[in-house]
Amino acid sequence: MSLRRQPSEERLLAFAAGTLSFPEAVVVAAHLSLRPVTRPWADLGAAVGGVLLDDQAPETLSSQARREVMARLDAVEPEAEPRPASADPVLPAPLDQFALGPWRWLGPGVHVRDVLGTRQGDCRVILLKIASGQSAPRHTHGGVELTCVIDGAYATEDGVFSRGDFEEADPSVTHQPKVVSKEPCLCVAALDGQILLPGRLGKLLAPFVRL
Amino acid sequence: MSPSRALDELVLRVGESRDREAFAGLFDHYAPRIKALLMRGGASASAAEELAQETLLTVWRKAHLFDPARASAAAWIFTIARNLRIDHFRRGSVTLHELDFHLEAEEPAQPDAILSGAQDAQRVRAAMLSLNADQAAAIEMAFFQEQTHAEISRTLGVPLGTVKARIRFGMMKLRACIERDRGDAS
Repeated sequence: MSLRRQPSEERLLAFAAGTLSFPEAVVVAAHLSLRPVTRPWADLGAAVGGVLLDDQAPETLSSQARREVMARLDAVEPEAEPRPASADPVLPAPLDQFALGPWRWLGPGVHVRDVLGTRQGDCRVILLKIASGQSAPRHTHGGVELTCVIDGAYATEDGVFSRGDFEEADPSVTHQPKVVSKEPCLCVAALDGQILLPGRLGKLLAPFVRL
Repeated sequence: MSPSRALDELVLRVGESRDREAFAGLFDHYAPRIKALLMRGGASASAAEELAQETLLTVWRKAHLFDPARASAAAWIFTIARNLRIDHFRRGSVTLHELDFHLEAEEPAQPDAILSGAQDAQRVRAAMLSLNADQAAAIEMAFFQEQTHAEISRTLGVPLGTVKARIRFGMMKLRACIERDRGDAS
Protein backbone atom coordinates (compact mmCIF):
# COMPACT_ATOMS: atom_id res chain seq x y z
CA MET A 1 0.00 0.00 0.00
CA SER A 2 1.31 3.41 -0.91
CA LEU A 3 2.20 5.91 1.76
CA ARG A 4 -0.85 8.03 2.48
CA ARG A 5 0.50 10.64 4.91
CA GLN A 6 -3.06 11.26 6.05
CA PRO A 7 -5.31 9.55 8.61
CA SER A 8 -7.05 6.39 7.45
CA GLU A 9 -10.68 6.66 6.40
CA GLU A 10 -11.74 4.76 9.50
CA ARG A 11 -9.89 7.18 11.77
CA LEU A 12 -11.42 10.17 9.98
CA LEU A 13 -14.86 8.60 10.44
CA ALA A 14 -14.10 8.11 14.15
CA PHE A 15 -13.04 11.79 14.32
CA ALA A 16 -16.35 12.82 12.74
CA ALA A 17 -18.35 10.43 14.93
CA GLY A 18 -16.63 11.75 18.06
CA THR A 19 -15.19 8.43 19.18
CA LEU A 20 -11.50 9.35 19.06
CA SER A 21 -9.85 10.22 22.36
CA PHE A 22 -9.42 13.97 22.85
CA PRO A 23 -5.62 13.91 22.22
CA GLU A 24 -6.11 11.93 19.02
CA ALA A 25 -8.80 14.39 17.90
CA VAL A 26 -6.40 17.31 18.50
CA VAL A 27 -3.72 15.79 16.24
CA VAL A 28 -6.26 14.92 13.53
CA ALA A 29 -7.63 18.49 13.74
CA ALA A 30 -4.09 19.88 13.36
CA HIS A 31 -3.63 17.76 10.25
CA LEU A 32 -6.99 18.87 8.82
CA SER A 33 -6.09 22.53 9.30
CA LEU A 34 -2.77 22.07 7.47
CA ARG A 35 -4.15 19.75 4.78
CA PRO A 36 -7.47 20.95 3.40
CA VAL A 37 -7.35 18.08 0.92
CA THR A 38 -8.18 15.65 3.74
CA ARG A 39 -11.18 17.66 4.98
CA PRO A 40 -13.74 16.14 2.61
CA TRP A 41 -13.33 12.82 4.45
CA ALA A 42 -14.09 14.42 7.80
CA ASP A 43 -16.94 16.41 6.24
CA LEU A 44 -18.29 13.18 4.75
CA GLY A 45 -18.30 11.63 8.22
CA ALA A 46 -20.19 14.64 9.61
CA ALA A 47 -22.65 14.44 6.70
CA VAL A 48 -23.29 10.77 7.48
CA GLY A 49 -23.80 11.76 11.13
CA GLY A 50 -26.32 14.37 9.97
CA VAL A 51 -28.28 11.79 7.98
CA LEU A 52 -28.29 9.41 10.93
CA LEU A 53 -29.50 12.26 13.16
CA ASP A 54 -32.32 13.17 10.77
CA ASP A 55 -33.33 9.50 10.60
CA GLN A 56 -33.61 9.00 14.35
CA ALA A 57 -37.09 8.24 15.60
CA PRO A 58 -37.86 11.32 17.75
CA GLU A 59 -37.74 10.80 21.50
CA THR A 60 -40.42 12.51 23.59
CA LEU A 61 -39.21 15.59 25.43
CA SER A 62 -40.45 16.64 28.83
CA SER A 63 -43.28 19.17 28.66
CA GLN A 64 -41.20 22.17 29.73
CA ALA A 65 -38.09 21.43 27.58
CA ARG A 66 -38.96 23.78 24.74
CA ARG A 67 -40.27 26.55 27.00
CA GLU A 68 -37.06 26.50 29.05
CA VAL A 69 -34.91 26.95 25.97
CA MET A 70 -37.10 29.66 24.43
CA ALA A 71 -36.99 31.56 27.72
CA ARG A 72 -33.20 31.60 27.65
CA LEU A 73 -32.77 32.89 24.10
CA ASP A 74 -32.75 36.58 24.95
CA ALA A 75 -29.94 36.10 27.43
CA VAL A 76 -27.73 34.37 24.85
CA GLU A 77 -25.37 36.61 22.89
CA PRO A 78 -24.34 35.58 19.38
CA GLU A 79 -20.88 34.12 19.33
CA ALA A 80 -18.07 36.31 18.05
CA GLU A 81 -16.81 35.78 14.52
CA PRO A 82 -14.34 32.93 14.04
CA ARG A 83 -11.00 33.71 15.57
CA PRO A 84 -8.44 35.59 13.50
CA ALA A 85 -5.70 33.73 11.73
CA SER A 86 -3.26 31.97 13.97
CA ALA A 87 -1.12 34.29 16.06
CA ASP A 88 1.73 31.86 15.52
CA PRO A 89 2.28 31.37 11.78
CA VAL A 90 3.85 27.95 12.31
CA LEU A 91 1.44 26.29 14.75
CA PRO A 92 -1.76 24.88 13.26
CA ALA A 93 -4.84 26.89 14.30
CA PRO A 94 -6.41 24.15 16.47
CA LEU A 95 -3.40 24.38 18.81
CA ASP A 96 -3.89 28.14 19.40
CA GLN A 97 -6.33 27.61 22.22
CA PHE A 98 -3.97 25.56 24.38
CA ALA A 99 -1.31 26.81 26.75
CA LEU A 100 2.07 25.17 26.26
CA GLY A 101 4.38 23.86 28.95
CA PRO A 102 8.10 24.70 28.99
CA TRP A 103 10.48 22.96 26.59
CA ARG A 104 12.23 20.11 28.32
CA TRP A 105 15.42 18.43 27.22
CA LEU A 106 14.85 14.80 26.44
CA GLY A 107 18.12 13.75 24.89
CA PRO A 108 20.69 15.00 22.39
CA GLY A 109 18.86 17.34 20.00
CA VAL A 110 15.46 16.30 21.32
CA HIS A 111 13.10 18.62 23.24
CA VAL A 112 9.52 18.13 24.27
CA ARG A 113 6.78 20.35 25.67
CA ASP A 114 3.30 19.49 26.85
CA VAL A 115 0.19 20.85 25.19
CA LEU A 116 -1.68 21.64 28.38
CA GLY A 117 -5.27 20.69 29.01
CA THR A 118 -5.35 17.81 26.54
CA ARG A 119 -4.86 14.83 28.84
CA GLN A 120 -7.41 12.07 28.80
CA GLY A 121 -6.41 9.08 30.91
CA ASP A 122 -2.84 8.17 29.97
CA CYS A 123 -3.12 9.87 26.60
CA ARG A 124 -2.05 13.48 25.99
CA VAL A 125 -0.67 15.79 23.32
CA ILE A 126 2.97 16.86 23.14
CA LEU A 127 5.10 18.94 20.82
CA LEU A 128 8.37 17.30 19.90
CA LYS A 129 11.30 19.25 18.45
CA ILE A 130 14.18 17.30 17.00
CA ALA A 131 17.36 18.85 15.64
CA SER A 132 18.59 18.34 12.09
CA GLY A 133 20.23 14.96 11.63
CA GLN A 134 18.93 13.61 14.93
CA SER A 135 16.62 10.70 15.47
CA ALA A 136 13.34 10.82 17.32
CA PRO A 137 13.10 8.84 20.54
CA ARG A 138 12.42 5.26 19.64
CA HIS A 139 8.99 4.27 20.68
CA THR A 140 7.36 0.99 21.38
CA HIS A 141 3.77 -0.07 21.27
CA GLY A 142 1.89 2.30 23.53
CA GLY A 143 4.17 5.26 22.77
CA VAL A 144 3.52 7.83 20.07
CA GLU A 145 0.32 6.79 18.36
CA LEU A 146 -0.39 9.69 16.00
CA THR A 147 1.99 12.31 14.66
CA CYS A 148 1.52 15.37 12.47
CA VAL A 149 4.54 17.28 11.20
CA ILE A 150 4.31 21.04 11.78
CA ASP A 151 7.69 22.18 10.54
CA GLY A 152 10.81 20.63 9.03
CA ALA A 153 10.84 17.03 7.83
CA TYR A 154 11.78 13.56 8.95
CA ALA A 155 12.40 10.38 7.02
CA THR A 156 11.64 6.78 7.82
CA GLU A 157 12.27 3.72 5.67
CA ASP A 158 8.79 4.47 4.26
CA GLY A 159 9.57 7.97 2.97
CA VAL A 160 9.83 11.62 3.94
CA PHE A 161 7.23 13.35 6.12
CA SER A 162 6.93 17.16 6.03
CA ARG A 163 4.52 19.92 7.14
CA GLY A 164 0.98 18.60 7.40
CA ASP A 165 1.93 14.94 6.91
CA PHE A 166 0.27 12.55 9.32
CA GLU A 167 1.55 9.21 10.49
CA GLU A 168 -0.21 6.50 12.44
CA ALA A 169 2.08 4.30 14.48
CA ASP A 170 2.03 0.71 13.47
CA PRO A 171 2.69 -1.35 16.59
CA SER A 172 4.27 -4.09 14.50
CA VAL A 173 6.98 -1.75 13.21
CA THR A 174 9.67 -0.14 15.32
CA HIS A 175 11.18 2.55 13.21
CA GLN A 176 13.37 5.42 14.18
CA PRO A 177 12.62 8.53 12.12
CA LYS A 178 15.56 10.80 11.34
CA VAL A 179 15.29 14.55 10.75
CA VAL A 180 16.33 15.39 7.20
CA SER A 181 15.49 19.11 7.10
CA LYS A 182 18.11 21.79 7.82
CA GLU A 183 15.84 23.32 10.42
CA PRO A 184 14.63 21.30 13.43
CA CYS A 185 11.57 19.15 12.88
CA LEU A 186 8.56 20.15 14.97
CA CYS A 187 5.77 17.61 15.40
CA VAL A 188 2.54 17.41 17.35
CA ALA A 189 1.85 13.95 18.68
CA ALA A 190 -0.78 12.09 20.64
CA LEU A 191 1.13 10.04 23.13
CA ASP A 192 -0.21 7.05 24.98
CA GLY A 193 2.01 5.76 27.76
CA GLN A 194 5.73 6.41 27.86
CA ILE A 195 8.31 7.25 25.22
CA LEU A 196 11.42 5.14 25.45
CA LEU A 197 14.67 6.87 24.76
CA PRO A 198 17.14 5.06 22.57
CA GLY A 199 20.28 3.39 23.80
CA ARG A 200 22.12 3.35 27.07
CA LEU A 201 21.58 7.06 27.64
CA GLY A 202 17.86 6.41 27.59
CA LYS A 203 18.21 3.74 30.22
CA LEU A 204 20.22 6.09 32.43
CA LEU A 205 17.78 8.95 32.03
CA ALA A 206 14.59 6.97 32.22
CA PRO A 207 14.08 7.40 35.97
CA PHE A 208 14.56 11.17 35.69
CA VAL A 209 12.73 12.13 32.54
CA ARG A 210 9.05 11.69 32.97
CA LEU A 211 7.11 12.03 29.79
CA MET B 1 -37.39 22.73 -1.65
CA SER B 2 -36.20 19.42 -0.20
CA PRO B 3 -36.83 18.88 3.52
CA SER B 4 -33.12 19.18 4.29
CA ARG B 5 -32.84 22.45 2.36
CA ALA B 6 -35.83 23.73 4.33
CA LEU B 7 -33.92 23.01 7.55
CA ASP B 8 -30.83 24.80 6.17
CA GLU B 9 -33.12 27.76 5.49
CA LEU B 10 -34.31 27.79 9.10
CA VAL B 11 -30.72 28.00 10.38
CA LEU B 12 -29.99 30.83 7.95
CA ARG B 13 -33.05 32.74 9.16
CA VAL B 14 -31.96 32.37 12.77
CA GLY B 15 -28.47 33.58 11.79
CA GLU B 16 -29.68 36.58 9.83
CA SER B 17 -32.44 37.91 12.06
CA ARG B 18 -32.59 35.92 15.30
CA ASP B 19 -35.89 34.56 14.01
CA ARG B 20 -37.58 32.83 16.97
CA GLU B 21 -40.19 31.11 14.83
CA ALA B 22 -37.48 29.55 12.65
CA PHE B 23 -35.63 28.54 15.80
CA ALA B 24 -38.75 26.89 17.22
CA GLY B 25 -38.98 24.88 13.99
CA LEU B 26 -35.39 23.72 14.40
CA PHE B 27 -36.03 22.87 18.04
CA ASP B 28 -39.07 20.77 17.21
CA HIS B 29 -37.22 18.82 14.54
CA TYR B 30 -33.84 18.37 16.16
CA ALA B 31 -34.20 18.34 19.95
CA PRO B 32 -36.20 15.06 20.03
CA ARG B 33 -33.80 13.46 17.54
CA ILE B 34 -30.68 14.60 19.38
CA LYS B 35 -32.17 13.17 22.57
CA ALA B 36 -32.82 9.88 20.76
CA LEU B 37 -29.31 9.78 19.28
CA LEU B 38 -27.64 10.43 22.63
CA MET B 39 -29.79 7.84 24.40
CA ARG B 40 -28.85 5.34 21.73
CA GLY B 41 -25.25 6.19 22.59
CA GLY B 42 -25.88 5.25 26.22
CA ALA B 43 -26.83 8.60 27.82
CA SER B 44 -29.63 8.70 30.38
CA ALA B 45 -32.91 10.31 29.30
CA SER B 46 -32.31 13.35 31.51
CA ALA B 47 -28.70 13.88 30.40
CA ALA B 48 -29.70 13.40 26.76
CA GLU B 49 -32.49 15.96 27.07
CA GLU B 50 -30.24 18.48 28.77
CA LEU B 51 -27.60 18.09 26.05
CA ALA B 52 -30.28 18.40 23.37
CA GLN B 53 -31.35 21.72 24.93
CA GLU B 54 -27.72 22.91 25.12
CA THR B 55 -27.21 21.91 21.48
CA LEU B 56 -30.14 24.06 20.36
CA LEU B 57 -28.95 26.99 22.46
CA THR B 58 -25.56 26.66 20.75
CA VAL B 59 -27.35 26.64 17.38
CA TRP B 60 -29.00 29.94 18.41
CA ARG B 61 -25.65 31.40 19.42
CA LYS B 62 -23.73 30.26 16.34
CA ALA B 63 -26.33 30.27 13.56
CA HIS B 64 -24.74 33.31 11.91
CA LEU B 65 -21.58 31.22 11.41
CA PHE B 66 -23.45 28.44 9.57
CA ASP B 67 -22.36 28.07 5.94
CA PRO B 68 -24.67 25.88 3.85
CA ALA B 69 -21.98 25.52 1.17
CA ARG B 70 -19.86 23.69 3.73
CA ALA B 71 -22.31 21.52 5.62
CA SER B 72 -25.98 20.68 5.78
CA ALA B 73 -27.91 21.88 8.84
CA ALA B 74 -28.10 18.24 9.93
CA ALA B 75 -24.32 17.70 9.71
CA TRP B 76 -23.61 21.01 11.42
CA ILE B 77 -26.03 20.35 14.28
CA PHE B 78 -24.77 16.78 14.56
CA THR B 79 -21.22 18.05 15.17
CA ILE B 80 -22.46 20.52 17.79
CA ALA B 81 -24.30 17.75 19.67
CA ARG B 82 -21.34 15.41 19.34
CA ASN B 83 -18.92 17.99 20.73
CA LEU B 84 -21.16 18.91 23.63
CA ARG B 85 -21.51 15.24 24.53
CA ILE B 86 -17.75 14.74 24.50
CA ASP B 87 -17.17 17.89 26.57
CA HIS B 88 -19.91 16.88 29.00
CA PHE B 89 -18.21 13.59 29.78
CA ARG B 90 -14.66 14.92 29.57
CA ARG B 91 -15.16 18.06 31.65
CA GLY B 92 -12.03 19.65 30.24
CA SER B 93 -11.33 23.36 30.18
CA VAL B 94 -10.89 23.39 26.41
CA THR B 95 -13.83 22.22 24.39
CA LEU B 96 -13.65 19.98 21.40
CA HIS B 97 -16.02 22.31 19.69
CA GLU B 98 -13.22 24.74 19.08
CA LEU B 99 -11.20 22.11 17.26
CA ASP B 100 -13.16 21.54 14.10
CA PHE B 101 -14.34 25.02 13.32
CA HIS B 102 -13.47 24.25 9.73
CA LEU B 103 -17.14 23.37 9.26
CA GLU B 104 -17.78 27.05 9.75
CA ALA B 105 -16.82 29.95 7.60
CA GLU B 106 -13.18 30.55 8.39
CA GLU B 107 -12.12 30.58 4.79
CA PRO B 108 -13.76 30.04 1.41
CA ALA B 109 -14.89 26.48 0.80
CA GLN B 110 -12.42 24.41 -1.16
CA PRO B 111 -13.50 24.16 -4.77
CA ASP B 112 -12.74 20.45 -4.66
CA ALA B 113 -14.65 19.84 -1.44
CA ILE B 114 -16.73 16.89 -2.50
CA LEU B 115 -19.70 17.92 -0.48
CA SER B 116 -19.81 21.62 -1.26
CA GLY B 117 -23.30 22.31 -2.43
CA ALA B 118 -23.88 18.57 -2.59
CA GLN B 119 -23.96 18.05 1.11
CA ASP B 120 -27.65 17.85 0.74
CA ALA B 121 -28.80 15.05 2.99
CA GLN B 122 -30.71 13.44 0.12
CA ARG B 123 -27.53 12.75 -1.78
CA VAL B 124 -25.69 11.39 1.20
CA ARG B 125 -28.69 9.24 2.07
CA ALA B 126 -28.86 7.90 -1.49
CA ALA B 127 -25.16 7.08 -1.34
CA MET B 128 -25.64 5.27 1.96
CA LEU B 129 -28.21 3.02 0.28
CA SER B 130 -25.51 1.90 -2.15
CA LEU B 131 -23.45 0.35 0.66
CA ASN B 132 -23.65 -3.36 1.24
CA ALA B 133 -25.16 -4.46 4.55
CA ASP B 134 -21.79 -5.15 6.21
CA GLN B 135 -20.35 -1.76 5.27
CA ALA B 136 -23.48 0.08 6.37
CA ALA B 137 -23.53 -1.76 9.70
CA ALA B 138 -19.85 -1.06 10.41
CA ILE B 139 -20.23 2.66 9.63
CA GLU B 140 -23.39 2.98 11.68
CA MET B 141 -21.86 1.17 14.65
CA ALA B 142 -18.91 3.55 14.55
CA PHE B 143 -21.41 6.33 15.30
CA PHE B 144 -23.96 4.92 17.61
CA GLN B 145 -22.47 2.30 19.77
CA GLU B 146 -19.76 4.46 21.27
CA GLN B 147 -17.45 1.66 20.40
CA THR B 148 -13.90 1.48 19.36
CA HIS B 149 -13.22 -0.54 16.24
CA ALA B 150 -11.89 -3.32 18.47
CA GLU B 151 -15.20 -3.45 20.34
CA ILE B 152 -17.16 -3.50 17.09
CA SER B 153 -14.94 -6.37 16.00
CA ARG B 154 -15.86 -8.35 19.14
CA THR B 155 -19.57 -7.54 18.80
CA LEU B 156 -19.72 -8.64 15.18
CA GLY B 157 -17.37 -11.56 15.72
CA VAL B 158 -15.16 -10.59 12.78
CA PRO B 159 -11.46 -9.65 12.82
CA LEU B 160 -10.47 -6.03 13.50
CA GLY B 161 -8.93 -5.75 10.04
CA THR B 162 -12.28 -6.73 8.52
CA VAL B 163 -14.10 -4.01 10.48
CA LYS B 164 -11.58 -1.40 9.35
CA ALA B 165 -11.78 -2.59 5.74
CA ARG B 166 -15.59 -2.43 5.78
CA ILE B 167 -15.48 1.13 7.09
CA ARG B 168 -12.75 2.15 4.66
CA PHE B 169 -14.41 0.69 1.56
CA GLY B 170 -17.78 1.98 2.73
CA MET B 171 -16.40 5.51 3.06
CA MET B 172 -14.69 5.29 -0.34
CA LYS B 173 -17.91 4.06 -1.92
CA LEU B 174 -19.90 6.90 -0.34
CA ARG B 175 -17.45 9.44 -1.63
CA ALA B 176 -17.37 7.96 -5.14
CA CYS B 177 -21.16 7.84 -5.20
CA ILE B 178 -21.53 11.48 -4.14
CA GLU B 179 -18.89 12.65 -6.61
CA ARG B 180 -20.55 10.77 -9.44
CA ASP B 181 -23.90 12.23 -8.42
CA ARG B 182 -22.46 15.72 -8.47
CA GLY B 183 -20.88 15.06 -11.87
CA ASP B 184 -24.30 14.06 -13.22
CA ALA B 185 -25.88 17.18 -11.80
CA SER B 186 -23.41 19.63 -13.31
